[in-house]
Amino acid sequence: MNRRKLSTFASLAAIALALGGCEKKEEAKPAGGTIGFVYVGPRTDYGYNYAMDQGRLALEKDLGKTTVFFENIPENAEVQRVMERMIAEGVKTVFATSYGYLDPALEVAAKHPDVKFMHGGGFKLAPNLGTFFADIDEVEYLSGMAAGAATKTGKLGFVAAHPIPQTLRNMNAFFRGAKSQNPKVTMNVVWTGSWSDPTKEAEAANTLADQGIDVLTMHVDGPITIAQTAEKRGIMVCGYHADASQFAPKGWVTGAAWNWAPLMEKIVKSIDSGTWKSENLRGNIRDGYVKLASYGPAVPEPVKAKIDSVKKAFEGGAPLWVGPLVAQDGTVKAKAGDTLSREKIESMDFLVQGVVGSVK
Amino acid sequence: MNILLRKRRELSERFRWFEGTLSVAAPALVFLLASSAFFALLGRDPLALIGQILNGAFGSTYGIVETLVKTIPILLCALATAVPARLGLLSVGASGQFYAGAWLGTGMVLVVGGSHLAMPAMFLAACAGGAIWALVPGFLRAQWEVNETLATLLLNYVASLLVDWAVYGPWRDTSNLGWPATISFPESVRLPVLVPGSRLHAGLLLAILLAVGLHILLSRSRWGLELRVLRSNRKLGEGVGMSWKAGAAATMAIGGAVAGLAGILETSCIHGRLQSGIALNYGLTGFLVAWMSGQHMLRIVPISLVMGALLSSGDALQLFAQLPEATAVVLQAILFCSVLATGGLLRRWRSP
Amino acid sequence: MNAFEIILGTLLSGLRSATPLLQVLLGETVTERSGVANLGVEGQMLLGAFAGFAIAATTGSPWAGLLGGFVAGALLSAVHGALCLWTGANMFASGVAVWMLGGGLSAFFGIPFVGRKIDGFVPPDFGAAAHNPLLGPILRAATPGVLVGLCTWVACGLVLYRTRPGLRLRAVGESGESASTLGIRPSRVRWAAILVGGGLSGLGGASLSVDQVRNWIEWMTAGRGLVAVGLVIVARWNPWWALPSALLFGVVESLALRLQTLGVGISPYLLSTLPYLVCLAVLAWGSVRARARGAMPRDLAQVFSSTE
Repeated sequence: MNRRKLSTFASLAAIALALGGCEKKEEAKPAGGTIGFVYVGPRTDYGYNYAMDQGRLALEKDLGKTTVFFENIPENAEVQRVMERMIAEGVKTVFATSYGYLDPALEVAAKHPDVKFMHGGGFKLAPNLGTFFADIDEVEYLSGMAAGAATKTGKLGFVAAHPIPQTLRNMNAFFRGAKSQNPKVTMNVVWTGSWSDPTKEAEAANTLADQGIDVLTMHVDGPITIAQTAEKRGIMVCGYHADASQFAPKGWVTGAAWNWAPLMEKIVKSIDSGTWKSENLRGNIRDGYVKLASYGPAVPEPVKAKIDSVKKAFEGGAPLWVGPLVAQDGTVKAKAGDTLSREKIESMDFLVQGVVGSVK
Repeated sequence: MNILLRKRRELSERFRWFEGTLSVAAPALVFLLASSAFFALLGRDPLALIGQILNGAFGSTYGIVETLVKTIPILLCALATAVPARLGLLSVGASGQFYAGAWLGTGMVLVVGGSHLAMPAMFLAACAGGAIWALVPGFLRAQWEVNETLATLLLNYVASLLVDWAVYGPWRDTSNLGWPATISFPESVRLPVLVPGSRLHAGLLLAILLAVGLHILLSRSRWGLELRVLRSNRKLGEGVGMSWKAGAAATMAIGGAVAGLAGILETSCIHGRLQSGIALNYGLTGFLVAWMSGQHMLRIVPISLVMGALLSSGDALQLFAQLPEATAVVLQAILFCSVLATGGLLRRWRSP
Repeated sequence: MNAFEIILGTLLSGLRSATPLLQVLLGETVTERSGVANLGVEGQMLLGAFAGFAIAATTGSPWAGLLGGFVAGALLSAVHGALCLWTGANMFASGVAVWMLGGGLSAFFGIPFVGRKIDGFVPPDFGAAAHNPLLGPILRAATPGVLVGLCTWVACGLVLYRTRPGLRLRAVGESGESASTLGIRPSRVRWAAILVGGGLSGLGGASLSVDQVRNWIEWMTAGRGLVAVGLVIVARWNPWWALPSALLFGVVESLALRLQTLGVGISPYLLSTLPYLVCLAVLAWGSVRARARGAMPRDLAQVFSSTE
C-alpha cells in the first residue's frame, strides 16, 4: 500500500479526531431526563408507529415532558447503537416500541442500570426493563361485527404482513365477530410478506376486490394504502392501528385502534414518583388502551347498538376466546364453553374454519 | 487548460506521490464541496454537520468501536466485489451472497450447534452458500454471456426472500412469540470480542487478513498473473491454454465466499441470530468501496473504514441534526459520483 | 367465473401491475438503443415516484404529479449523462451511483410526505357498462396511468421504427462513428436518449405512486427498475416487445398473490421470488437468442461484454 496515502489518511484522521474533540454539545440536559422513543417505521404511517407517536405527543402535552424520537430503525442490533446514543445524550427513559427491539434493549439495559426501558409487546424483564402492551382482540371482534353487518357479498378480505400470533389472533377475532352478524360470511387472507410494502398491499387489495370481496381489513404497519385502494374500488374498509377514515371517506366502516396515551402517562408518572417496577403491563378495552375507531358512513345503523352491547359485555369481563374453536384442519382448539389460557392465546398458530388462507 | 496540464505533468514527474495523492485528494475535495452544497441548500451549516459526522464516528470510544463494527461487513463485501472485478466481471451481488451465506451458515448451526466443530462447520457452510450464490450468475455469464450485473442484482432479492421464508417459517424460534428470528446462536459459534463490553469482534482481524491474503494471491501468484492476462486479452489467454470460464467461476466463487462470510459474521457475532434485513446496504456500499479503491485489495481497508464512519454516524445525524437516516445514503451517492467524475476527468486530462 | 373471465382478469391485473414497469422498460430501451446503458433507472423511478406523489399532494392534481415525475426522472438521468458522456465514467458504475442518489434523495425529501393523502385519478362513472362482466373489468383497468403507458408504448414503437429521429437513434446505437460521418452528432442523440429514458422512468415511478398505489414510502419500487433493465434484453431492444415482456412480469406478480387467495399453501415469500426468477430465466434465454441473432445494438454490445 502506498505509504504516502497511508500518511495522508493518518493525518486526515488526526484532524478529524481533533475537530471531533472540539465539538460543543449543544443541548443542555433537562431535569428528570428526556424520554426517548424508537420506531420501526415512519410516525406518519397512520398505523402502528403513528399510534405510538400519539402517546409520545400526549406525554409532551399533558405532562410537559421533553421527548426525542428515532424513526425507521430496523428490528435488529442496529437499534442498540441508537439507544446508546440517546442515553449518551441524557435520555433517561427509553420506549422501545417494536417487538424486535427486545433483545437489543435487554443488552443495553444491562449496561445502563440508571436508565429505565419500556418495551412494547415483549415478555422478558430486567431490573430496569419492563414491558407494556394491550389486547386488541376484543376490538377486532367488534370491528368484525360491523364488517359482517355491512358486507353485501358476504366476502371479507384480510391483508396481512406476517403470520405471527398477534396477526392470527386479529384474524380469528375479526372473523368470529363477522360471523356473529352473518353466519354465511367467508374471509380470504393474503400475506404481503412485509410490514410495509405499499405496492404489494395495493396489489393484494385489488386482487381481493377482483374476487368480489367488499370489506377489507388489514394487519400491516400502515393502513393507508389498503384504505385508499378500497376507496378506489368502491368497496368498504375496516382500519387497524389508528383511525384512517380520511383516506376512505365513503368506504370507512370502523376500525381497531390503539390508545397509548393513558398507559404511557401511567408509566411515566410511576417513574417520576419512584413507584415504577419492572413488570409486564397489559391492558385491554376495559382500561381504554384500545378503542374502536369512529364509525364511517358504511356502517348500518342497527349494528351499532349491538356492537355497543357486546362492547359493554367485554368491558364487564366477558371472555372473547371461548369455545367452540375449531382450526382450519378440523382440530378442536377449545371445546364449547372452555376458555383459552393466556399462553395459548399469546402463541396462537392457527386460523379458524371458514378462513381461506394458509398459516405458513 | 494546457497550462494546467503542463503543470500537472511537471508535478507528477517531480514527485512520485503526486498522481497518487491527486487521485485521492481530488474526489475528496469534490465530495466535500458537493455535500456542503447539499447541506447549504437545506439551510444547514455544512461545517457543523461535517463536524457532527466526524464526532459521531470518531469522537468517542463508543463511536470508534461502532465505526469498526460497521467496517467489517463493508470491507468483506468490497472484497467480494473486487475479486471478480479482476477479470472484468461487474458483480453487485454481495448482499445476495451475504444472505445466502448467512442462510446456509445458520442451517449448519441449527444442525450441529452443540459440537466443538460447530464454528468451523458454520464458516465453511457460509462460504459455500455465498460461493454457490455467486456461481449461478458466474456460470450464466461464462456459458451464455448473460450480463452478470443484472443477474446478481436480481438474485439479491431472491436471497433476501429466502431468508425471510426461513425466519418466518421453518426456522422461526417458536418460543419467541412469533417474532421472526431463529434461536439465539450458542456462544461456541461466536467469535471473541476485541474490546470488552463492545460489539467489536475478531472478525475485523479476519477481514483484514483476508484482504492481505487476497492481495498476495492476486498480485504475486501465478493464478493472479493468469487473471491479468485473461483480463487484458481474453483470446490471447485462451490461446495459450488458460480458461476464462474457469477464471470467471473461480473469481465469482471466491467473492461469493467472502460475502457469505460477512453474512454469517453479522448473523452470529452481531445479531446473534438469523433475521431478515440484516444485510442493510452493505452490498451496495461494498461495491462503492471496491470501485473507489480501484479494485485494489489493500486500499479497500482504509476506504472501508471511511465508509464505516459515514454509515455509523448516520444516527448521530438523526439525533443531533434531526436529519433522516437517508442522509448517509445521499452522502454515499455524492461520494460515489465525485469519485467517478474526478476519476474520469483525471484520466481524460492526462494528455492534451 | 368462467375460464375466459379468469384469463381476462389475470391479464388486466397483470397490466395494472405492469404499467409502471412498462414505462421504465420503454425508457431504458430508448436509452440503450443509443448505446448507453443506465442502471440508475431504479433511482429515477424512485425519485419520480416521490416527486409525483409530492406534487400531486401539494397541487391536488394527479396529472401534475405524472408530469413532475417525468421531469424529476429526466433531471436525475442528466447526472448519469454528465458522468458518462462528459467525464467518461464507467456506465454501469455511474448507473449504480444514480440509483443510490435517487433512492437517497427520495427517501430524504420524502419523509414529510409519508402519510399524506392524495386524490389520485377519479374514475368516471361508467354507468351500466361497469356491470357488464366483459366491459366492466376492462373499463376499471383503464386508469389514466395505464392509458398513458399504452400511449407511450405505441409512441415509442412508431418513433423508433418509422421516423427520422428514430432512425438517427438506431444509427448511433449501432455505431457512433459511422453515424457521425453521416452528419449525426452521437453525443447529442445520446443525451436526448438518456433524458427521454430518464423521464419515462420517472413517469413510471409517478404512475406507481400516484395512480396505482396512491401512497409513498421510501424504496417502494422494490427492484422494479432493475427488472426493467433485464427485460430490455428480453424484449430484444424492441419497444413493441416491451408490452408482452412487462405483462409477463406483471402477471407472474399478481398470480403469486392470486394463488394465495385461492388457498394455495405455498409460502408467500417463496411465491414472491417468482417474478425475479422468471425474469432471470427469461433474461438468460433472451441473452442467448439476442446474441445469436445480433439484436443488441453493437455499440452497446461492446460495453456489455468488456466491462471495465
